[in-house]
Amino acid sequence: MTMPDTVYGAVLISFIDFFLSMLIISGIGVVLALFPLLNRLGRIDDATLRKSQH
Amino acid sequence: MDEILAFTRALMDQTGLAHFWWGNLVMIVIGCVAIYLAISKRYEPLLLVGIGFSCIISNVPGSDLILPGGLFYYAYQGVALLIVPPLIFFGVGAMTDFAPMIANPKLVILGAAAHLGIFVALIGAKLLGFTLSESGAIGIIGGADGPMAIFVTMKLAPHLLPQVSVAAYSYMALMPLIQPPVMKLLTTRKERLIRMKQSRQVTRLEKIVFPIVIGIIVNLFFPPVAPLITMLMLGNLFRESLVVDRLAKTAANDLMNVIIIILTVAIGSTMSADRFLTVDTLLIVLLGLVAFVFGTASGVVGAKVMNLFLKEKINPLLGSAGIASVPIAARVSHIVALSEDKENYLIYHAMGPNLAGVFGTAISGGIMLALIGVK
Repeated sequence: MTMPDTVYGAVLISFIDFFLSMLIISGIGVVLALFPLLNRLGRIDDATLRKSQH
Repeated sequence: MDEILAFTRALMDQTGLAHFWWGNLVMIVIGCVAIYLAISKRYEPLLLVGIGFSCIISNVPGSDLILPGGLFYYAYQGVALLIVPPLIFFGVGAMTDFAPMIANPKLVILGAAAHLGIFVALIGAKLLGFTLSESGAIGIIGGADGPMAIFVTMKLAPHLLPQVSVAAYSYMALMPLIQPPVMKLLTTRKERLIRMKQSRQVTRLEKIVFPIVIGIIVNLFFPPVAPLITMLMLGNLFRESLVVDRLAKTAANDLMNVIIIILTVAIGSTMSADRFLTVDTLLIVLLGLVAFVFGTASGVVGAKVMNLFLKEKINPLLGSAGIASVPIAARVSHIVALSEDKENYLIYHAMGPNLAGVFGTAISGGIMLALIGVK
């Protein structure tokens, strides 16, 4: 889809882009809010990882 | 005698002197000012020394460095072929701890709220007669993200690269001067004194999963800007995995330094007088300032709107950190809060929206490219 090269097109892009950005970044926020659940899978020990340096 | 004169004229024609005009002199002065600001005032020295010097050399007409075969020309190809911006993101990812963003997901939305400036500048540019593609490139200055501004500009309006990149990096350096008055104007002292609760600890597992999940999301939904965020996430995975410390350090230090040299030389080499000394440049610089002011304001207002719904209020100064420039915007929030209360340390909390701002700019840029019809 392409927008008309007019002020109307610029306003339309701005509205769509701003609200879609808000929506998508909120979605990322929701995904991040679920991250603590990952810790139920187990724990990774930093010291062990550091020991296995290549 | 005539022969000697003709010979001298032919000799002069072969030097740059015959092609030197006042515009070159103006740009040489601008290059010198950039170097002066970097050395004397410490304004973004990593960027301004290289930009200033290559700007000076590019305005000496005899210089072959900017022509095919010259090193500045090939440095510019790194930007034009969109190799340099993803590599910068790679280095940034390797030096960035995303824990503040993971720890406080509700602040992530400020990373989008603070980008109203992009759209104000976009509409403003269109009203001033720029094409829609040019307006999009000018608008992205408001994202305060140098590599993203370069990336989007190269896709939408490559001829505007010098103006957009110079405006973006200049305003990023000037954020400590631009943002505080806007932040103070839109908040009460009581709001600025709000203290944030300590964030939770983010585990290694979360830090490792984060770049993988974001990499998948971005490539799935935003292919136009995926190269940047993907490289950001690769760099971050190197850092957080703890098993390739050597690579992470190289990406964050040596590689990053090499890329910064290439980038600054490339940007400066595009600042030739005939391209740069135009009314459009003045308009773009002005629109960039408007974008930064509105971005700061919309971030602060966004945080205040959030407070209407939150039981535990957030400090609205965090809102302006939603502008992507990492970590400058977060530092400004921290300093403004400290100026009111010497024990109110906002830096860690402000890094959350600040990092989210990087994604906010990428998402805005990706949607813009899709809507304007650029792949």
